[in-house]
Amino acid sequence: MPNVNPESLLPLPTAEFHILIALAGKDRHGYSIMQDTAARTGGKVELSPGTLYSSIRRMLEQGLIQELSGNPEPENTDQRRRYYRLTRFGRRVAEAEAGRLRSLLNQAWATGLVTGRP
Amino acid sequence: MKAESVYRALLWCYPAAFRHEYGGEMRLLFADQLYDARRRGARKAEAAVWLRAARDAVTIAPKEHSHVIFQDIRYAVRTMAGSPAFTAVAILSLALGIGANTAMFSLWNGVLRSALPLVQAPERLVILSNPASSGVSIGSQNGERALLTFAEFEQLRENADVFSGLMASQSLLEEWQIRVEGGDPENVRGRMVSAGYFDVLGVTPRFGRADRSTDGRQVVISHEYWRRRFGGRMDILGKPVTIRKAVLTIGGVAPAGFAGETGGQHPDLWAPLGLQREILPGRDWLHDAGVDKVMWLHVFGRLRDGVGVEQAQPKANAIFKAGLETYYGSVQSAEAKRQFLDQRLKVQGAAMGASSVRRRFADPMKALLAAMAVVLVIACTNLANLLLARGAARQREIALRLSLGASRSRLVRQLLTESLVLAAIGGVAGLAAAYAVHRTLVAMIGEVDSTFKMAFRLEPRVLAFTLAATVASALLFGLLPAWLATRTAASESLKVQGRTATGSSGQLRWGRLLVALQLALSLPLLVGAGLLLRTLHNLQDADLGYGKDRLLVLDRVDAQTAGYKEPQRAQLMAAIQEQIRLVPGVKAVSFTENGLFSGRDSGDEIEVEGYTRKGNRDRGSRWDQVGAGYFATVGVTMLRGRDFDERDTAAARKVCVINEAFAKLFFEGRDPIGKRITTVYGDTRRIHQVVGVARDFRTHNLRGEIPPRYFVPVTQPLGEFDGAVFVVRSAGESAGVMKGVQQAIRRVDGAFPILRAEWIVERVATRLAQDRIMARLALAFGLLAIALSAIGLYGVLSYGVTRRRSEIGIRIALGAQPGRVIAMILRETGWMVAGGLAIGAALAYGAARLIASQLYGLAPNDPVTAGIAVGALLLVALAAAYLPARRASRLDPMAALRQE
Repeated sequence: MPNVNPESLLPLPTAEFHILIALAGKDRHGYSIMQDTAARTGGKVELSPGTLYSSIRRMLEQGLIQELSGNPEPENTDQRRRYYRLTRFGRRVAEAEAGRLRSLLNQAWATGLVTGRP
Repeated sequence: MKAESVYRALLWCYPAAFRHEYGGEMRLLFADQLYDARRRGARKAEAAVWLRAARDAVTIAPKEHSHVIFQDIRYAVRTMAGSPAFTAVAILSLALGIGANTAMFSLWNGVLRSALPLVQAPERLVILSNPASSGVSIGSQNGERALLTFAEFEQLRENADVFSGLMASQSLLEEWQIRVEGGDPENVRGRMVSAGYFDVLGVTPRFGRADRSTDGRQVVISHEYWRRRFGGRMDILGKPVTIRKAVLTIGGVAPAGFAGETGGQHPDLWAPLGLQREILPGRDWLHDAGVDKVMWLHVFGRLRDGVGVEQAQPKANAIFKAGLETYYGSVQSAEAKRQFLDQRLKVQGAAMGASSVRRRFADPMKALLAAMAVVLVIACTNLANLLLARGAARQREIALRLSLGASRSRLVRQLLTESLVLAAIGGVAGLAAAYAVHRTLVAMIGEVDSTFKMAFRLEPRVLAFTLAATVASALLFGLLPAWLATRTAASESLKVQGRTATGSSGQLRWGRLLVALQLALSLPLLVGAGLLLRTLHNLQDADLGYGKDRLLVLDRVDAQTAGYKEPQRAQLMAAIQEQIRLVPGVKAVSFTENGLFSGRDSGDEIEVEGYTRKGNRDRGSRWDQVGAGYFATVGVTMLRGRDFDERDTAAARKVCVINEAFAKLFFEGRDPIGKRITTVYGDTRRIHQVVGVARDFRTHNLRGEIPPRYFVPVTQPLGEFDGAVFVVRSAGESAGVMKGVQQAIRRVDGAFPILRAEWIVERVATRLAQDRIMARLALAFGLLAIALSAIGLYGVLSYGVTRRRSEIGIRIALGAQPGRVIAMILRETGWMVAGGLAIGAALAYGAARLIASQLYGLAPNDPVTAGIAVGALLLVALAAAYLPARRASRLDPMAALRQE
C-alpha cells in the first residue's frame, strides 16, 4: 500500500501494535505471535484467536504484514501453520504509532500529570 | 476433542469467507491455548480461554460481518458507477414504483387504518351511531339506527353509567359564511358539537378553553385556521364571530394536528350545538315534532375502565328503547307502534372515528393498491431481465472469481447486495416520489369529496411498508439473476472465454419466462382498465329518462330559512316560477322539493288501492313534492294520464303521479288511473288519486334499479314543504339564461342569496368523479404495465437475436428469405405471448371479480373488454417483437460468421 499515509491508520489498535512488535525480530505464525506477546507482557495480554486473526486479516489488507508462501522454519513439521512477515510499510506505521505515543507521554510528563520520566 | 468441536461450532458466527480463510488457524490456536492452560493446571486460565472465545463470537464476529457488507456495498457502488445507464433506469423505475406504492399505502393507511390524531386512548372511544352516515334525516327509521336526535343523546348522557363521558357532533361538516369582528364574510368549514366534545376525546385546547355547556357562546377554532386566518396571534380570544344569526366569541384554539372525530375532515371551527336555531335559522333540530324525529348527530362515548363494548351495548340500548317507548307512547295504531319501536343502537369501537369516505373508498383503494403492486412487480421483472443480461456479460468475471476460490454463496450475497443498494436508493427516492403522488391522489379524492384533506406523513407503518417494498423489490429482481449468474460451473465458463461472452441459453430461457410473466400480469390490469373505462362510458351515456341538454338545476330556494310560514311557501314558489318563465330563453320551468341528484329523499309507508302487501319490499315508497308542469319541464314522457297543472290547488281533489316502477310493483298490469294511494305516517293518513304514470327517470342515482316513486303537487303536500329546487329547460346553454334565472328569484324576494345554477350534464359529471378517477388511474396502470412488458419483450428478443447471430447468419447464407427469419422470431415470440396470455386470462378473471361492485352496464367477464385487452396486448407485443425480428432478417451473413 505505497500510497497510503501511515498517519491515516493511527491510532493503531493495541492488538495490532503487539503483532507488529512480535514480528519485528522474526517471521512468526499465529501461535508464536500470541506466545511472544504473552511473554513480553508477563502474561497480561493474551490474544484470543478471534482478535488475532481479525487483526491479521485487516493488517494484510492494509499491507502492514504479508503472508509467507513457504515455511521459513523447516524444522517445524506442522504444515498447517501460516507465517507472517512485517512489511516496510508496516515498519513505517509502527514508527508513526510509536511517535504518536511518545508525544502523548511527553505531554503527560510535561504537565506533571504523571511522574517517572526515564 | 470435544472442546474443539464446540469451538468449531462457535466459528459459524463468523462470515463464511473469514471462516474459510482463518478458521483452521483459529482452531489450532485455540487448541494450543487450551493445552497450555491445562498443562499449567490452571482452571482459571482454562476458563479465561473459553471466555475469550465466547466474547470474540459476539464482538469480533459482527465486526467481520459488517466489514464484508461494507466491502460488498463498496463493490456494488463501483459496479453501479460503471454502468450509469442501467443504474439510472433501475433507480428511476424503482423510485416511481416504490413511491407510488408508498403513496397509495399511506392514503389507505390514513383513511382506513389510522386512529384519530391526538385523541387520548382511542381504543376506549366508542360510537353509538353509524360511523359511515352523515346528513340529516327527518322522520322515523327501522332497524339499526344511523344517526341520533338531540333528545336521545341527552337521555343517554344522563343515564348511561357505562360511559365516563358522552358527546354528540353534527354528522355533516358544513360550509358556513361567517364574519369575524364584523369584517367581510368568509367561508369556513365547521360543525356543531355538544358540551364535553373535547373532554370525551381527551383533547385540551392549545390555549383558551373549550366550552363545557351546550348553549355557551364560544367557538373553538382549529390550529390550522388560527395560523392561516390570524397568523398565529395570541390576542384572538374573545374576538366576536358571527355565524348567520348566532354571535359568538373565540374561546380557544385546538392543538396542532387535531382534526376532530371524523377521519379525513378538517373543520376550521367547532360551535356549540345549543345554538343550532341561530346557526341554521328557521329550523329546530334540537326538538322533535310529532312522530318526526330529527336524526342528525353522531354520538361518541368513552368507556369506563373495565367496561367493554359488550357491556355498553345492552346498557345503551335499554336507555334508547325506554326513550322510544315514551316517545311513541301516544301512537294509536299497534302496527305503526311496533314499527316505530323496531330500532336499536349498535355500539362499536371508534378509534378511527366516523368517516363517510372510509366505506366508499375501501374497495377501490384495495384494488388500486393491488394494481400498483402488480406494476411494481412488472417493473422489477424488467430489472431482473436487465440483470440477467448483465450477469451474462459478467460471466467471465464471475467464473474467474469462482475459480479463484470464492464460494458461490459469497458471490450471490455480493450480487444481492448490489440489488439491495439499487433498491435502497430507489426506495429513498421513492419516498420523495410518494410525497408528490400522495398529493395527486388526495387532490383526486377531493374531486369526489371536497371536504377531504390529508397530508403525507412518514408514520412508522408507512416507513415499514416502504422498507418492505424495497427489500421485496431487491429480492424480486436480484435473486434469480444472482442465482443464475453463479450457477455456471467455473471451468465451463472459462472454456468459452475466447469468444464474446453472450450468456447461456438457460439465461435466455429464464428471460422468456419472465417476459411471459410480465405479459400475464399486464392482462388483468388492462382488462380492469377496460372494464372501468367502459363503465364510465356507460354511466356518462346512461339514459336518465329525459334529455340532458339545456336543463338547468338551481340550488335550493330555502323558504323556511328565509322566514316564510308553511302556507305561503307554495305561493312563493309559484311566484318565482312565473318570474323565471319571463326570462328570455327559458322554455319551461318547474320545481321539486328533493331536487335532481341533490342527495335528499323522502319516503313513507303506503297502502295502494286493490293491492295486498306481500312482504317488506312493498311496504312503502319514496315520494317527492313538485310544481306544476314538472314532468314536461324535466322532459319525462307521460305513459298515461297527465302532468300537474293549475287545476291542482289546495282545495281541489288530491292527486298524484306515479312512476313506471311504482305501477309495475303495485298495479301489476291493472290500470292505475283513478286508484287511491294512502300515505300512512303514525296516525295520519293522506289519500291521493293517481292521475298520471311517468316513464321511469333518474333523480338520485345513476346506478341500480329505479325504485317506485310517486309525486304530489306542493299545493297538496305529504309533509312539511320547506323549499324547492328549480329546474329550467332553456333554448340554449348560455350564461345569459343562468343569470336571468338567478335574478328572477331575487326579483320576487331580494333577501334570497344568488343561488348557484348548474347544467344537469355538469352535475352528472360531478357525480361520476370517483368513476372517472378510478378509470383514469386504472388506464395509467394498464398503459404503464403494457409499456414495461413491451420493453421487456423487446429486450429479451434483441438479446436472443444477438446471441444467435451466427445461427441466423448461416440460415441466411443457406438461402433463408428475410420473411422466413422474421416468421421464425415471431413464432418464438408467439409462444411467449400465448403462455403469458393463458396465465393472464386466469388472473384477469379473478381480478375482474374484485372490481365487480364498481362496474355498470357490463359483467366482470365482459367478452368485448377482454377481447380488446387481449388485442391491445397482442398488438404491442407484435410491435415490440418486430424490431428485433427485422434486424435479424437484415443480418449480413458474412459479418455474422466472421465474428465467430
